Amino acid sequence: MSVAIVDYGSGNLHSAHKAFERAAREAGLRMDVAVTARPDEVAAADHIVLPGVGAFADCKRGLDAVDGMTQALDEAVRDRGRPFLGICVGMQLTATRGLEHTVTTGLNWIGGDVAAIQPSDPVLKIPHMGWNTLRVLKPHALLDGLVVGDGGWHAYFVHSFQLSPAETSDLIATADYGGPIAAFVGRDNMAGVQFHPEKSQKLGLALIANFLKWRP
Amino acid sequence: MILFPAIDLKNGECVRLVRGDMAQATVFSDDPPAQARAFEAQGFEYLHVVDLDGAFAGKPMNAAAVERMLASVNIPIQLGGGVRDMKTARSWLDKGVSRVIIGTAAVKDPDFVKEAARLFPYRIAVGVDARDGRVAVEGWAKTLELSALDLARRFEDAGVAAIIYTDIARDGALKGLNVEATLAVAEAVSVPVIASGGVGSIDDVARLAEPDCALLAGAIIGRALYDGRVDAAEALALIRKARAVRA
Repeated sequence: MSVAIVDYGSGNLHSAHKAFERAAREAGLRMDVAVTARPDEVAAADHIVLPGVGAFADCKRGLDAVDGMTQALDEAVRDRGRPFLGICVGMQLTATRGLEHTVTTGLNWIGGDVAAIQPSDPVLKIPHMGWNTLRVLKPHALLDGLVVGDGGWHAYFVHSFQLSPAETSDLIATADYGGPIAAFVGRDNMAGVQFHPEKSQKLGLALIANFLKWRP
Repeated sequence: MILFPAIDLKNGECVRLVRGDMAQATVFSDDPPAQARAFEAQGFEYLHVVDLDGAFAGKPMNAAAVERMLASVNIPIQLGGGVRDMKTARSWLDKGVSRVIIGTAAVKDPDFVKEAARLFPYRIAVGVDARDGRVAVEGWAKTLELSALDLARRFEDAGVAAIIYTDIARDGALKGLNVEATLAVAEAVSVPVIASGGVGSIDDVARLAEPDCALLAGAIIGRALYDGRVDAAEALALIRKARAVRA
């Protein structure tokens, strides 16, 4: 089995690469984890991870700049149903539109808009940086075995924007930051997390292991 | 990226050391709460406080000053220096410290860190202080064989809030952060990493605002803020700008 972590120049992917390798090893899975900028490798992968750090528009531009990548992703994820995990901006890119600075068209897989988070409590700073527990709205295979809710495991967030799915049923879990923020979205074989599983220790590694075992 | 201004306490005063040498302490303020308020007013979001006497004594030595700071500001405080047992950690967290930093005890008694992180999830930070990649303890007076990376890895799954990586050779020396070594730690562990030691100019802050440093959870800035080499407003503007291009 193979995992492709899509490299489109959106930042440092070492820690993501290491976390996926470690999760695979500890789960006893024989997985070949590769960071790749090649559409053919993405198309051939069994599991696809789209990370993303930076602005929505920059990330989309970066993705579009890799010849054939969006098409390879579309075919593998949409047509062939390969398990997909978007992380941070990689998750946000599954939206219809990004409303950061200007309106940018997203992949429109999960749908909805990416807009600035607006905590109800003015004391809460933007960006939202820190640890939060997850409130699960509906069960999902990627959350199996994770301890969620108050007193549960924590996920590490660094973001100023969030994805509001067009279909409320696509919102799987939220975190509280002056109101609920979208922490986990999912539809069919596609999942996306706003937090950084590669920096979220126990919760992150368990989620990654679940993703690697996922057969949606 | 959070820029943490550092307040190091010695005999109740705010000092800066060079490479951890207590004999080379420069006093910058005799009023720690006023200093804390000044940083808050400048727009900093989180204070990094170290009880230097505590780090050497192995127990809190500037508790009164810390308590007055806690009462003086609204922004969170992370505190290190002399936190070697659960009673001390609990006491600080109860008093309003947002997270405590465990350094020496993390090396000598790793189970203490793990138990503390279990009792106080994501409110314990581990201070990994390195000299040429090797761990230094007891106010940095002693260097061990243990590598900084191996120490950081020990706490990967403990539920700690962050690892604060200090390059001792750079600390207070104003010659720039050891970005490469810090990023290497950040790449290797599944815990947010905060860089410390060496910020000496606005260029060093600009370096932190570059995209690869987005992997870091924050950086600590000390002497350069006090002696005016780095202007707080300018530094914070750079960090905010770097954040603005992030989602």
